[in-house]
Amino acid sequence: MRKLVIMMSFLLCSLQILAQDKTVTGKVTDEKDGSPLAGVSVTVKGTTVGTSTGTDGSFRLTVPASARILVFTFVNFAAQEVSIGNRSEFAVKLASEDKALSEVVVVGYGTVRKKDLTGSVVTIGGDKVKDLPVQSFDQALSGRAAGVSITIPNGVVNNPPVIRIRGVNSISLSSFPLVVVDGIPSFSGDVGNGNAANNPLGDINPTDIESIEVLKDAAAAAIYGSRASAGVLIITTKKGKQGRARVSYDAWVGFTKPYNLIPVLNGREYETIKNEGLTNAGTPPNGTTRGFYPYIGPDGNPVDTKWYDVIYRTGTSQNHNVSVSGANEKTNYYFSAGYTKQEGMIRQNDFTRLNATMNLDHKVNNRITIGGKFQYANTNNTGVNSGSVPGGAFATSGIARLGFNLMPNVPVYLNNGAYNINTVSNTIGQGGNLTALQFTNPQVLLDLNRFSSTSDRIISNVYGNVKIIDGLSFRTTFGIDNLNVVNKTFQNALHGDGVSNGGSAFNNLQTFRRWNWTNVLNYVKSFGNHNLTALVGNEQQYTSSDGWGANRQGVTDPFYNEFQGGFNTIVPFANFLSENYLVSFFGRVNYDYDKKYLLSINGRRDGYSAFAPENKYGNFWGASAGWVVSEEEFFKNSDISNVLSNLKLRGSYGVVGNNQGINDFAFWSFFSSGLYGSNPSLFFSQAGNRNLKWETSQKTDIGLELGFLKNRLNVEATYYINNVDNLILAEPQAPSRGIPGNSILTNVGSMSNKGFEFTINANVIQKQGFSWNTSFNITTLKNEVTALAAGNADIQPATSGLERPSMIRVGQSIGSFYVVRSGGVNPANGQRIFYYRDGTAVQYNHAAPVASRWTLVSSGAVAPRVADQANDGIIMGPALPKWTGGWDNTIRYNGFDLNMLFFFSGGNYVYNGTKAGLRDMRSWNNSTEVLNRWTKAGDVTTIPRIVFGDNISNGSGIVMSENVEKGDFLKMRSLTLGYSLPKTVTEKIGINNFRFYAQILNAFTLTKYTGYDPEISSNGNGNGNPSVDRNSVPQARSFNVGVNIGL
Amino acid sequence: MKLKIASFLLIVTAAVSCNKSKLDPIPQTALSDAVAFSDSSRSVQQVNGLYSAIKNGNMLAGRYQVYQDVRGEEFINRTNNAVTAWLTWQFNLTASANEVQNLWAAGYAAINRCNVVIDGLTKSTISDGLKKNLIAEAKFVRANSYFILMQLYARPYTDGNGSKLGIILKLQPETSSGDQNQTRATAGEIYTQIIKDLNEAETDLPSTYANATLNTTRAHKNTAASMKTRVYLNMGQWANVITEGNKLVPNAAPWNASTGVANGLLANVATVYTNYTSAEAIFSMPFTALDVPGTQNGLGWYYNPGPNGGGEFALNIVAPGIYADAGWRTSDARRGLLVESGGQTWLRKFPNPNNAADWSPVIRYAEVMLNLSEALARNEAGTAVNARALAILNAIRKRSDATIADFTPATKDELVNLILNERRIELLGEGFRSSDIARTNATFPAKGSVGSVAPSANQYIWPISIAELLVNKSCQQNTGY
Repeated sequence: MRKLVIMMSFLLCSLQILAQDKTVTGKVTDEKDGSPLAGVSVTVKGTTVGTSTGTDGSFRLTVPASARILVFTFVNFAAQEVSIGNRSEFAVKLASEDKALSEVVVVGYGTVRKKDLTGSVVTIGGDKVKDLPVQSFDQALSGRAAGVSITIPNGVVNNPPVIRIRGVNSISLSSFPLVVVDGIPSFSGDVGNGNAANNPLGDINPTDIESIEVLKDAAAAAIYGSRASAGVLIITTKKGKQGRARVSYDAWVGFTKPYNLIPVLNGREYETIKNEGLTNAGTPPNGTTRGFYPYIGPDGNPVDTKWYDVIYRTGTSQNHNVSVSGANEKTNYYFSAGYTKQEGMIRQNDFTRLNATMNLDHKVNNRITIGGKFQYANTNNTGVNSGSVPGGAFATSGIARLGFNLMPNVPVYLNNGAYNINTVSNTIGQGGNLTALQFTNPQVLLDLNRFSSTSDRIISNVYGNVKIIDGLSFRTTFGIDNLNVVNKTFQNALHGDGVSNGGSAFNNLQTFRRWNWTNVLNYVKSFGNHNLTALVGNEQQYTSSDGWGANRQGVTDPFYNEFQGGFNTIVPFANFLSENYLVSFFGRVNYDYDKKYLLSINGRRDGYSAFAPENKYGNFWGASAGWVVSEEEFFKNSDISNVLSNLKLRGSYGVVGNNQGINDFAFWSFFSSGLYGSNPSLFFSQAGNRNLKWETSQKTDIGLELGFLKNRLNVEATYYINNVDNLILAEPQAPSRGIPGNSILTNVGSMSNKGFEFTINANVIQKQGFSWNTSFNITTLKNEVTALAAGNADIQPATSGLERPSMIRVGQSIGSFYVVRSGGVNPANGQRIFYYRDGTAVQYNHAAPVASRWTLVSSGAVAPRVADQANDGIIMGPALPKWTGGWDNTIRYNGFDLNMLFFFSGGNYVYNGTKAGLRDMRSWNNSTEVLNRWTKAGDVTTIPRIVFGDNISNGSGIVMSENVEKGDFLKMRSLTLGYSLPKTVTEKIGINNFRFYAQILNAFTLTKYTGYDPEISSNGNGNGNPSVDRNSVPQARSFNVGVNIGL
Repeated sequence: MKLKIASFLLIVTAAVSCNKSKLDPIPQTALSDAVAFSDSSRSVQQVNGLYSAIKNGNMLAGRYQVYQDVRGEEFINRTNNAVTAWLTWQFNLTASANEVQNLWAAGYAAINRCNVVIDGLTKSTISDGLKKNLIAEAKFVRANSYFILMQLYARPYTDGNGSKLGIILKLQPETSSGDQNQTRATAGEIYTQIIKDLNEAETDLPSTYANATLNTTRAHKNTAASMKTRVYLNMGQWANVITEGNKLVPNAAPWNASTGVANGLLANVATVYTNYTSAEAIFSMPFTALDVPGTQNGLGWYYNPGPNGGGEFALNIVAPGIYADAGWRTSDARRGLLVESGGQTWLRKFPNPNNAADWSPVIRYAEVMLNLSEALARNEAGTAVNARALAILNAIRKRSDATIADFTPATKDELVNLILNERRIELLGEGFRSSDIARTNATFPAKGSVGSVAPSANQYIWPISIAELLVNKSCQQNTGY
């Protein structure tokens, strides 16, 4: 991209030479070390007369007599203006410019200097995501940039993170940003099989990434029009840099394990608690038909199984990457190959990626440049039924639950060596217990079941750039993104989910193909102090998805665990066929006057196939303006400029759209085929809506940028408002209407996100051999749902289809919790107290007859009705953090470097549904806190009197305030200590650089949250049900050591 | 110059290109509403789709029958699993409970499909004869759906003779956004519609189909009449039950229908569950390997122990469970449909695993006989014992226990109780128990750790689904929820 700028500066220089000119000569050097600078642009201010320096830094230029000022510009160096006067010989020293301001920022279909930027864009350097023990680059972005909230849902390997740019921007469509990789919108989401998570962004090797630009406001993002509502992430992969070929080798090895596991009862405690529950229920253990009793292990002692140890492990990982890159005047190349194998903290949960990337640009002649890239990855994800991906929270064999809910007084293996399983109930074996148990033995599942999701991915593009006349160029880019995913599942016939089908294998192939053709005409021209950049373009994108597969059932021999083995039955599975097409016309004009007054306008017209013919097209636009006050003469002349080196005001407004996540045939009403016995059937399967149109988002952004002390301290403050209108809402239909899925996509809702973003970057210390750079950012968010469907009916999105703690209600932040208030445990009788909405206190006694379990606390009389969410729910919110941010510190001392990244978030609540499960009084194991249960009148405790079978008092059967907790936390996301060998040593051994480092990911979390971790999302990227913690595994902590070697 | 011209041409070509047909793709895996009733084949498939709707996992593929049975005293929950009827079993439901929401939604999805299909067929150009047949089937399915929902969400018809709240009555197709608000009709209004649909269906349904499979899986005249015996029995309208029952059941053995499909009582009760299309199977839900009840649905899943089933509910082997009834002798063939495993006793009428599921019987000839028998018995004046009712009862009992002596009830009440008891044995696990308790205004007996539930208790019926109440502001919740 820097080359592009150089090229553009060339374009600015025409070859006009007038008579009666004079010739000036000189040399440009680096202020720092006096080394000559080659390629520095030298122009006469206000004209197009110019040249560039040669390899020795010298230049020679014939200038018109009227020329007064020479301008020297060079990438990464501050521009310098030198008055010509009578001189003809110049010795110019350029100072390296503050990086943050000189940087070129990639925006849609082009680049712009950060200085000239009027939109809200933040750049995250590729060095921030490389070398981290993550599977995909997006996992490494937490806390990196204001306005960008990244939540790692849990410790499942390659589970897509939750990414929110300036809040939640949709309800029924996607709030995940558009991810554009080298100009081609990438696939995102989860293409795994529901057990092995598979984030398509994990196909991109983080080491290959040069930079990640986040486009946040309409001015920046509207050029992506229809897809920009949730922001845009632009990924630029590395290119060769001028100079000789560089070879780099980067590698790390490490290990990973869970942290903050919640202690659970041991075998004896378990028996005590459960038997007490039976007694309190009026059905005491009797030694014949009910009761909980120990199983005596081979050592003659009662067993005490630590199920956490059965399912979790210390996984080991390694990562290697080799790249070769370089460039000369004509050609620029980057080639890399990577291999990573990462074992997760859950047994069987592994990630392997093999990838190769090739980038090539070649300047054919002065007019034509061609280039392209080829990126291939083979990614293999294996997993278990973790119960920790969206939809899986209540799986009977979800391994996270098994870890804490399985009975500790039964063994993994019986004394005879066989698996401890009960084949009658398909549950864990009873051991010595008489009362029926639930859940399955994870050892069998880990040993015999297999889940994998394997991707083959090619992302490739070719482009040609033609300079038509000076300032006018045309670029055409054709790219493809082909993703083939093979998902395989085998579930054994002996135990667990595979039993009901006699053992079954599911194989399916999913093919996602996309091509994108973009044509852009770009015009760059300066007239005196007027600088103009304009572009117009056309983009077409076609995407098809095609899936087929089958499920073979009834395995004929336990030997088989592959689809191609012996089975009785085969049924279709995961078949789909779909396509969509987007055609767009867009344009942008950037104008500035003397780099002081900046103006940018862009517009886009998009047509999308999923909308009815009369509603296919939408128009989107953005406009922005900036005023660089510090460039004004009055400012430069004032004393304040000594301290305040940069002052820029900017603002933008625009309307962008959203179609991301909409069903490809959303407007159609249709009937699908099925079977009734062996006869074919047709049934009403989708109530379409021809009036469906683009969801739109009005984005306002007002920013202030300040640079102090020659920009050693930079501060950026932004206020943003996103008003999302015409929200495409799966409008809930009264079930009595019988509409398929009980919803119809309709443009009915609206929602707003507003808040402040505040970023400080500072070079606190910058001395020879010692520096401290710090970067702090914080973003506030106030989300409010402002309209829903007719009547503003509430929407309660489910967690895994069963529990509905979340609420979408007008006037509230999306996904706030809707709970029945709990008044704690009544010290008089140990019953949990709940409040009706009118404040009446009622209590629940599971030991009482059905009709009299609910009584009034005041009188003990039978309550008129149960307490429940529908009648008694109140809002507890928000579930979305009110503030999130990060603090990044890099300290360098001689060869040492220390980096600390803190990530914080808070002001919100988290629904700790896992806590309900940990206190459930069925035969499930409990957290050790239940030892503090109420036992006698006067006991003050949070744990009610234990009654066997009670799933109300703990909150399994009722969403209550007791299980909603504050989610504030501060996490040390990463801590890295590195050491680079000094130049003297590296030169001796003939290499460029050698660095080694040690690193901890998720070093610690400070929080009052009582679950595993408040950074959690059991519902993944669900818009309406964030911050739900339901039976998920915890976060992983990783330690690794690595090297970076440059040859 | 040449280069410039070429470039401009390229730009122009590129910029205007946009592929019109790609912008209007047609789904390749579904039929648009415009063509969905365009010929007789599609129209028949639409009607098959209606049967599929009531065969939904939440309805007649099993869960509805399971809810009916486990509310009663015959089963003990083994898995404490809140998604497999544990809450229903222990009368601990709320409006947001899984089964409360799912059955409600499945019932109305079926009703709306019927309304859409009736509308689509009415406008279709297929022959009038076929059109009448198919619409009649749609009405039969609609009546069934309403009946199913009424059994759980509303007080029984017999409580207040239809005057209590029923459910929402929908007769028009819903295919797009519209008014969400509608109040509940009375139980009487719903039952009136059920009877109207069944009467109209009976008139227009064919007498028979081409083969035994179709005779069992699609409604014919006898199916409609049979269903009416059940509906009228639940309404307590004995004379009507008798009228309808007489259409299928003769005065004396052999117990065979004389018109339409030759439905009748099989000699061996075990055959009923193995020969899915026998004469006794008036109406059943078919399954194949490709058309299964679904995960954690299906009668076999609930009642079989592993590995074929989920072992969700074992028999309650102590009183008041029918298993403990000494009069149900070990020589009774129906005891042969029980099996012991893992220390529990299980119902094994549906022994096969989910992917080879046994068909779910919906209407059996034996049920029609028992319906008729009960109506005859109750319709008898004074305390007299109706001889034909008794004969039917003895026929049912002696089919399975040939050596048992004939029942000899002294009074009408005694006879009625014997018939009700026989229903518990004959129809065990087939989805009748809750209705049989509720329509007689009886108390749900205690079982295991669960106490009894009197008719006065709010838990006597289910709550209305929270999903309905959230959107339909006119819908009333049941008392106590």
